[in-house]
Amino acid sequence: MQAVTVLRGGGLVIYPTETVYGVGVEATNPEAVKKLLKYKSRREGKPLSIAVSNQAMAEQYVQLNEQARALYRQFLPGPYTIISQGLGRVTVGVESEFGTLGVRIPDYPLITELVQKLGKPITATSANASGKKRPYSLADLFDHLSAKQKSLIDLVIDVGELPKNEPSVVIDTTLSTPLTMRGSFTQADRVFITHSDQETRQLAGKLMLKYWDRAQNQGLLIALNGELGAGKTVFTQGVGQFLQVAEPVSSPTYTYLNEYDYSRHDTRGMLYHLDMWKIDIKADFEQLQTEKLLKPGNVVVVEWWQQVAKWWPKDQQPDLLLNLEETDEQTRSIALKENN
Amino acid sequence: MAKPTILAIDTSCDETAAAVGRGQIILSNVIASQAQLHQQYGGVFPTAAKQAHREKIQPIIKAAIRQAGLGWPSIKAIAVTQGPGLAPSLEIGLQTALNLGQQHSKPVIPVNHIEGHILSVLAQAKPKQGYRRAIKPKLPALSVIVSGGHTEFVLVKKIGQYHRLGTTVDDAAGECLDKVGRLLNLGYPAGPIVESLAKKGNKKRFAFPLPMTNIKTFDLSFSGLKTHSKRLIKNLIVEEKLTKKTTADFCASLQEGVFNHILYKLTKLLDEVPVKELWLGGGVAANLTLRAKLRSLARTKKLTFRIPYSHKLTGDNAAMIALTAGYILERQPKTSAKSLDRRPRWAIGGN
Repeated sequence: MQAVTVLRGGGLVIYPTETVYGVGVEATNPEAVKKLLKYKSRREGKPLSIAVSNQAMAEQYVQLNEQARALYRQFLPGPYTIISQGLGRVTVGVESEFGTLGVRIPDYPLITELVQKLGKPITATSANASGKKRPYSLADLFDHLSAKQKSLIDLVIDVGELPKNEPSVVIDTTLSTPLTMRGSFTQADRVFITHSDQETRQLAGKLMLKYWDRAQNQGLLIALNGELGAGKTVFTQGVGQFLQVAEPVSSPTYTYLNEYDYSRHDTRGMLYHLDMWKIDIKADFEQLQTEKLLKPGNVVVVEWWQQVAKWWPKDQQPDLLLNLEETDEQTRSIALKENN
Repeated sequence: MAKPTILAIDTSCDETAAAVGRGQIILSNVIASQAQLHQQYGGVFPTAAKQAHREKIQPIIKAAIRQAGLGWPSIKAIAVTQGPGLAPSLEIGLQTALNLGQQHSKPVIPVNHIEGHILSVLAQAKPKQGYRRAIKPKLPALSVIVSGGHTEFVLVKKIGQYHRLGTTVDDAAGECLDKVGRLLNLGYPAGPIVESLAKKGNKKRFAFPLPMTNIKTFDLSFSGLKTHSKRLIKNLIVEEKLTKKTTADFCASLQEGVFNHILYKLTKLLDEVPVKELWLGGGVAANLTLRAKLRSLARTKKLTFRIPYSHKLTGDNAAMIALTAGYILERQPKTSAKSLDRRPRWAIGGN
C-alpha cells in the first residue's frame, strides 16, 4: 500500500473513517507530528488522538484500567475515542498536558489494516483545519484549506462522500467516573471521587479542556457549591493551572472577587474567581457588577453559588455546576451538572 | 524643607477610608465603617461594611480634612489606592481622586495598598507640640503583612524597592481565623473575637498540624488548618462538647496553629536572608499574641522590631496611603496621573 510508504517516510495522509475524513501522520515521528500541527494550526493545546488496529496495539501506548477495558469491549472498533493514561511512547504533543492519550480503533477495515501494516499508530484527528466544517467529502475539506495547508498533504485516500455520521464520542477513563469529552454518552449527572488536591485540580483541568472551545467562543461560567474546606478554591487552582495563570490562585473570600490575566497558547482572557460567602443581600451582590464578567475568552468561577443563583442574570446560566463534598481528609466527592 | 501635606483615599475593599498626612506624621485617619458604627459596636468591627463606597466617600473626605484642621489650599497632592483590591471598589476611589485632582488642580498619586501596609510601621502621631524626629529605618528590612486578605513576606531593600519572598497559596491567615470563627458561631469577621476568647483559652488543648514543612519555599498555606478545624468542630458539635470553655480553648489552639506556621516559615526565612529590621503590618498585626511572638523572634535575631503605632493603622486605612505617597513624591516629585486604571491584582515585588 502506498499510504504505508508515505506514512513511514513522515508523510501526511488524508484518510476516510466511519465518521469523517481524518488526517494521519505516524504518531511516534516528531517531524511528522510537527507537520500535522502546522496543518491543523491553532490547536490551543488540544491533544491529538491515535488510531490503532486493535486492543493489543493500544496497550503498547496506554494503560487500560477496568473502566477502559469495559468500554473497549462494548464499543470498539467503532466511533469512540477512549482516553487512558499514556505511556509516553508517542511524540510529545500527541498526549494531553495531563499525560493522557485518546485511542481510537476505527470501524473501517481499510484503516485498521493500514495501521497494522505500518506497525505504528497514526494520529486520528479530523482533517478539517481547527474550527472549520466537518469533512464528509474532499470537497468539504479542500474548500476550506489554504494553499499552504494543501501543500502539506502528501496523499489523499478518496472514497467519495461519507455518510454524515457524528464525530467520535470521546470518553476520558482516567477519572473515577468516565467523563464524556465530546458527544453524548449518558445524560446522567456524574459524581467524581478525587483522592488528593492534585486530583481535584486535574479534574478541573480536564473539564476545562472539554469546554475550552466554549470558553474561547462564549466564555465559561462555572458554579461551585460546597462547605468550607470542600475544595472549591483547590478546584479553581486547577482551572488557573489549565489557563496557565502565572500567579498562585488564592482564596477570594476577603475581596469577594480576584481577577487574573491568562494567556494559553494563542488565547488571552481573564479568569474571575468569586466568593459569595459574605454576600447576603442583593445590594452587595450588585456592587460587584458580575454581569459584565462573562465574555468570549473569560472564565468566571463562582464559589458559594447558591448564595447568589437567584440574582445572577437569567441569560447567563452556569455551563458547569459542581457540588463538592468532603468524605474524609483527602477524599472529595464532586458532583457535576453540565449545561449543554 | 517641610514635607507636603497629602490627602489620601483608600477603597480597596469593604472600608471607605480617607486621611491626611505630612511625611510620617498622620494628621487624620478616618475609616467609614468604624467611625459610624463605633459606638453601636463598642469598637468591634462590624460584620461587613454594607453600604456602597459611593455614598460615603465625600463625607469621609470632608471629615479627614476637617479633623486634620486644614482646608483644601494646604493640600498639596491627592493619593489613592490603585490596587490590589476589589475592582469596583477601587474604581470609586480612583474616580473620586481624579475628579478632586482636576477640581482643585492637585496632582494625583497612585499607591499600592500593600506598600501602604508595609510602610505603616513608619507612621507617627501628630506631636502635641513642637517637632517629632523622623523614624529612619535601617534597611534591608523584612516586612510581614498579615491580614484578612493578605499574608506576605516582603523584603524591603529600599523604600520603594520590594521583593516578595513568600505569600499564601490559598487562604490568608486572617481569613482562616475569620472563617473558623464563623464555624464557632462568632460572626464574621471573627478574628478580633477569636483573639479575645483565645486569651482565656488553653492553647495546648487541640493540636494543629504545621503546614508546608516539606516545601522549601517561604510560601504559606492556611486552608489545611481551616479544614482540620472544621473536622474538629463538627465532632465537638456532634458530641455536644462545644462549651464556652472549649470554644475559648479552640480559639487559643487555632491561633497558636496559625501563628506557629507563620513563625516557622519566618524563622527559616530570617536564617537565610540577612535583614536589619522586622516589620509587622496588616489587620492581624493588631493581635497581641502575634506581636509578642514576632517581637521575641526579632530579639533572638537581634533585629529592630516595628509595628504601627495605632490599631487604626493595622486594618485597611488611608493614612498609610498618604505616608506612602509622601515617599513616592520624594523620589518622583513630578508624579501626577491624569487617568488611572484599577489594578485589582497589583502584586508587590512579585517574581
